[in-house]
Amino acid sequence: MTAEFATRLIDLLGALLLFTMLVILASGRLFRSIYAVAAQAVFLGIAGAVLGAATGNVDLWIIAGVTIVVKAILLPWLLLRVVRKIQIRREIEPVFPINGTLVVAAGIVVLAFHLTASLGPVRQAITGNALPVGIALILMGVLVMATRRKALVQMVGLFASENGIFFTAMAVSQGMPLIIEIGVILDVVLGALVMGILVLRVRSSVNDADIADLEGLKG
Amino acid sequence: MTSNLLWLTPLLPLVLGLTMLLVRDRRVLAALDVGGSVAVLGLALAIARRVGETGPVSALGVLRADDVAVVFLLLVGLLAAVVSIATVGWMRDAVARGEMREDRLHYYHALVNGFVATMLVTVLADNLGILWIAMEGTTITSALLVGFHGDKHGLEAAWKYIIVTTIGISFGLFGTVLVYGAAAHAQGGVFEGAMNWSSIVAVATKLDPGIIRIGFIFVVVGYGTKAGLAPVHMWLPDAHSQAPTPVSALLSGALIKCALFGIIRFHTIASGACGPAFSQNLLLVFGLISVVVATPFILVQHDLKRLLGYHSVEHVGIIALGLGFGGVVGTYGALLHVINHGVTKALVFLVAGDAIGRYGTRDMRDMKGFLAIAPLAGTLLLMGAFSLAGTPPFSIFVSELLVIKAGLASGRFASVAVFLVMVVIIFAGLVHHVGQMVFGTAPASADRARESRTQLLGMAALAAVMVLLGLWIPLPLDRLLTHATEIILG
Repeated sequence: MTAEFATRLIDLLGALLLFTMLVILASGRLFRSIYAVAAQAVFLGIAGAVLGAATGNVDLWIIAGVTIVVKAILLPWLLLRVVRKIQIRREIEPVFPINGTLVVAAGIVVLAFHLTASLGPVRQAITGNALPVGIALILMGVLVMATRRKALVQMVGLFASENGIFFTAMAVSQGMPLIIEIGVILDVVLGALVMGILVLRVRSSVNDADIADLEGLKG
Repeated sequence: MTSNLLWLTPLLPLVLGLTMLLVRDRRVLAALDVGGSVAVLGLALAIARRVGETGPVSALGVLRADDVAVVFLLLVGLLAAVVSIATVGWMRDAVARGEMREDRLHYYHALVNGFVATMLVTVLADNLGILWIAMEGTTITSALLVGFHGDKHGLEAAWKYIIVTTIGISFGLFGTVLVYGAAAHAQGGVFEGAMNWSSIVAVATKLDPGIIRIGFIFVVVGYGTKAGLAPVHMWLPDAHSQAPTPVSALLSGALIKCALFGIIRFHTIASGACGPAFSQNLLLVFGLISVVVATPFILVQHDLKRLLGYHSVEHVGIIALGLGFGGVVGTYGALLHVINHGVTKALVFLVAGDAIGRYGTRDMRDMKGFLAIAPLAGTLLLMGAFSLAGTPPFSIFVSELLVIKAGLASGRFASVAVFLVMVVIIFAGLVHHVGQMVFGTAPASADRARESRTQLLGMAALAAVMVLLGLWIPLPLDRLLTHATEIILG
């Protein structure tokens, strides 16, 4: 695979990642958000494989495989399991109108591309548009977390944000060292498990409350 | 030989923590806890000695101890040891009051040891990826501890803590990726130890300033969230006030300093790549915002532990200010403040835990006459509070003075003026709060039992360090801080 073709593929995957992010931002349904973040992880895995083929780095293939298993299968499964356990089907209640959120998201994308356009030759160290896409995904993930009051949606925003980091990390020179990537993914899984435990414990102890909606601590 | 010490230091609490899961007896758990953490302190001292004699020690390019790491290592080791001693007495009382369930104590001790192990890896990490992984590890272990009581407030605090700091710290990972990318680019490809702080610093002047600037902003926001720098501190007063008291002492005393350690590592890289002004200005802004934001909350606070949480925001801000003013004096002052605040805050949290147990409330308006019902703990509380407020002859006065001196030397008079005004207001607020708590007549319902010996021992050890460092900085410590300052300034 030529480097030029790989760059075009990475840009295409970057666009798909941004699109799925918009689906999460615009969606009023929890299930749709979870499937969107899983799709995002699949695109991320493909990006890893493309970069692995382009650079000849075997580690990237392994990272791509682990990404798909963990972020596209394991974590969404965990989320869906928690959803079933606490039986929420209701739609997501945004604390900020969704149209307004989308306007902010558009601003973030423009800002991210503008910011990275000013960089010098160091841009070559990162394949294609992976840097601005990564920055945009991280900030849009924070936007999801800031504008929704549901614990599970906040987790979806977190995972989407982390997908942005992984995307850029893969595209930096030849990716991060394998052992570091594995350690980071392990942290992500353990963190998600602890969050899941907290959500379930609040459900069972505080009658039917959503943990992200508790407001006992102020001042 | 010494590189083995580096591995052993975090491994010991990790293995101990796993072993504790199999133990059910409270006394055995307490003995293991104290023995293990005192051994960690011993290992930390041994590493400190070796680094002082022969310079930085590295272990396989993963862990590395230099003078900066040793400053933080000693703080974590000291607090782990002292807090575990104080925990013995606290735990007995907490079980008696029904705050802790005897059948879940092994989980508690195992988590605390895992938490300490991750903090030790954080400060010993050379590889910036390992630094990040360990930092996120501290969040995962300590989030379960914050919510350990399992009540509504505790779980709410734990959720806020884990969700805010995890997203925050992921900014730190992104910053790390960018710095790593810049280093790989400057070297013309990936090289051995490309992610190690020591090898990135060696090429710092060749790094592209544009990308390092973006990377450093992400790092400061990310690790700053974990350190409790305003305006990304919202989780801190909740988490530090809801956690069981010994955990609060570790969170406020040690953990937020570990996050600052991460910032300091990147500060050195950024100073090399873009000149010191950029990262200093950024830290200055965050530090000033933290001090200003904390002040009104300290004034109106009635919850004792939340008050201490907001104080941590203020003091993290002071450390950032010291780094922001820069120069030898400012950096030295910031490092000294790391130790001084860590020791003092752990002391005050331990006393606060004792007081809350006695009155059965954490509202300071209902806690009167503490000095009369617990003369020793009351005296220590007064001393700790005056130290926190920056009064001589206690240690925090010295480091705050150094920070102010550095600010004047760097010509940032406006920042120093704002800082001084806030410190004076906080002094008044703290004296008011603690005064109404310590003096007066205690309610009849308050527990007047004698302080438990282990708790007093822990508090007294911290108070001794606090007073000592206020009067005199021992030569080895002075040498350590001077070397660390040189390393930070590059």
